[in-house]
Amino acid sequence: MISTKNLSKTYKDGARALDSVTIDIDKRLVSFIGRNGAGKTTLLRILSTQLKPSSGTATVAGYDIMKQPDKIRKKIVSIPQEASTLGVLTPIEHLKLYLIARGFSVLQANEEALKALRELEMYDARNKPSDTLSGGMKRKVFVAMALAANAEITFLDEPTTGLDPVSRFEVWAAIKNLSGNIVLTTHYMEEAQELAEEVVLVDSGKILEKGSVKNLLHRFEGKVRVESLRPDSGDYQIGRTYVKYVKQEDAEDYIRNGYNVRRITLDDLFVLRGVNIEP
Amino acid sequence: MNLRFSLAFAWYYGFRTIKRGPSYVIASLSSPLTLLFLIYIISHGELIRYAVVGGFLGLVASVSFASVADAAFLRIQLRIQDLFVATSISPTDYILGLTLSYLIFSMPGIILYAIIGSLIHIFTLESITALILLLLVLTISTAGLSMTIGGAVNHIRNVWGISAIMSVVLTVLPPTFYPYSDLPKYIIYILAISPTTPAAVLAQGFFGFEPIMYVMIPIMVVETIVFFALARFFTRWREN
Repeated sequence: MISTKNLSKTYKDGARALDSVTIDIDKRLVSFIGRNGAGKTTLLRILSTQLKPSSGTATVAGYDIMKQPDKIRKKIVSIPQEASTLGVLTPIEHLKLYLIARGFSVLQANEEALKALRELEMYDARNKPSDTLSGGMKRKVFVAMALAANAEITFLDEPTTGLDPVSRFEVWAAIKNLSGNIVLTTHYMEEAQELAEEVVLVDSGKILEKGSVKNLLHRFEGKVRVESLRPDSGDYQIGRTYVKYVKQEDAEDYIRNGYNVRRITLDDLFVLRGVNIEP
Repeated sequence: MNLRFSLAFAWYYGFRTIKRGPSYVIASLSSPLTLLFLIYIISHGELIRYAVVGGFLGLVASVSFASVADAAFLRIQLRIQDLFVATSISPTDYILGLTLSYLIFSMPGIILYAIIGSLIHIFTLESITALILLLLVLTISTAGLSMTIGGAVNHIRNVWGISAIMSVVLTVLPPTFYPYSDLPKYIIYILAISPTTPAAVLAQGFFGFEPIMYVMIPIMVVETIVFFALARFFTRWREN
C-alpha cells in the first residue's frame, strides 16, 4: 500500500524533519506516533503529495509520489493537521464542495454527503453554519469528508488534537467507520492504542520501531512502571521524574517506599529509548 | 480542468458569505462609497461620474486585493488549500474558484453602483459592455496579483497589513476616482503597474469622459496573463 525508501526532508531553514525513512505499510489502520516536531506531519504531507521530499522515493497505492502524483490523488483523502472549517459554510456544503473537487457530480456529491452525515450522526447539524458547531463536530465534518469520498487510503493528521475527551471519543468512533486503509498521526498514546492495528514510533525524523501494540509492549509483560521524584531513584529520567520497570508483584513494595505505580503504555517505548516524553 | 469545482467554490465561498456575513459586504462598500461622497462634496458634483465609474473598479479591485489575506488565511491558518491539493483539482481551478467568488462577493456593490449610475445617466450599451469586460479582466488580474503576494507570505500576522496597504495604494492612488488627464503621462505609465490603472483609464475613455488611451488595452491583457501565471506559480500548490 505504502512504501518509502530513504525518504528525507530538510526545510529551507535547515531543519531536518525526516532522516532517511524506509518503511512499508500494509495494515488497515496504521498510526504514526511521536512528539510534536518528530516528523509525522512532514511524512504524511509527503505521502499525500502536498510536499516534495528532499531525497528518497516513495510509492502510495503503487504510484510514485514524484512521478505520478495525479494518480495518487485519485486514490487518497488527506485531512491536514488542524484543518478548520469555513465558518460561513454548513457541514453539507463542505462535503459537497470537497466531493466536487474529487470529481463527483453535484447530484452524486449531494447523495454521498447526506449518506456520510447520516452515518456519523451529523444529519441534524447538516445545515448549521460550521462556526456554530462544537470543536468535535467541526473535526467530524472532515472525517465525514473522508467517509463520503470512500478513498482507497485516508491520511488523517492528528485528527483529535485540541479536542475534549468526549469529542475525541466521537471522532474515534467516526474514524472506525472509514473504509479502505487509514494512516493517521497522533501524539496521544491512547489514541494509537485504541485505533491502530500497527503503530510506528517516530522521533527526530527517524522511525524508531513499528509493530502491533501487543507485540511492541510484549517486552513489558508482567511489569509495571514505577516513578519517583527522588534523584537517581530510577533507570530512566523524564524531566524531573525517575522511572524504572519492575515486576508487578513487587509494585506494593515500591508504593510503600513512596513510588507512584503506573500501567505500561506506548509511552514506555519512548522512555526505553531515552526520548523525553514529558508534555 | 475542473470548472465544476471552480463554480461550486465561487458559489459557496462567494454567495454564502454575502448571505451569512453581510457585514463583510458593507465593509467592502464603505471605502468606495466614502470616496464617492468626498468627491461629490469637493468637486461640487462635477466629478461624480468619474467617481461612480471608478467606484465599480475600486470596489472590485479592493475586494480582490483584500484576498491577499484571504488566500494566505486559507493556506496557513485553515489549511483548506492543503485539503484541496490532495484531490484532482489543479491550482488553476482553485485560483479561478477564489477569483469568481470575489466577483460574486462584489455583486451587491456593483448593483448599488449600477443604480447610482442609472440615476445620473452615464450608461450607454457600449459603455456597459466595456465596463462588464473591464470588471471581469480586472477581477482576474487583481486576484492573480493578490494570490501571488498571498502565496509569498509565510506568517499570517503579516497579511492583514499587506492587504490593507495594497487595497489603498493600488486602488486609490491610480486615476480610479479622478480624470487620468490630470496626471502627467509618465506617471500614468508608472501607475499602470497596478491593474486598476489601465482599467480606470480605459473605462474613462469608453464612457466618453476622456480620450481612449488604446495602449492600455495590451498593458491590461499582458498584466492579467502575467499576474494569473505568477499566482499559479506562487500559490505553493505542492510545497518544496
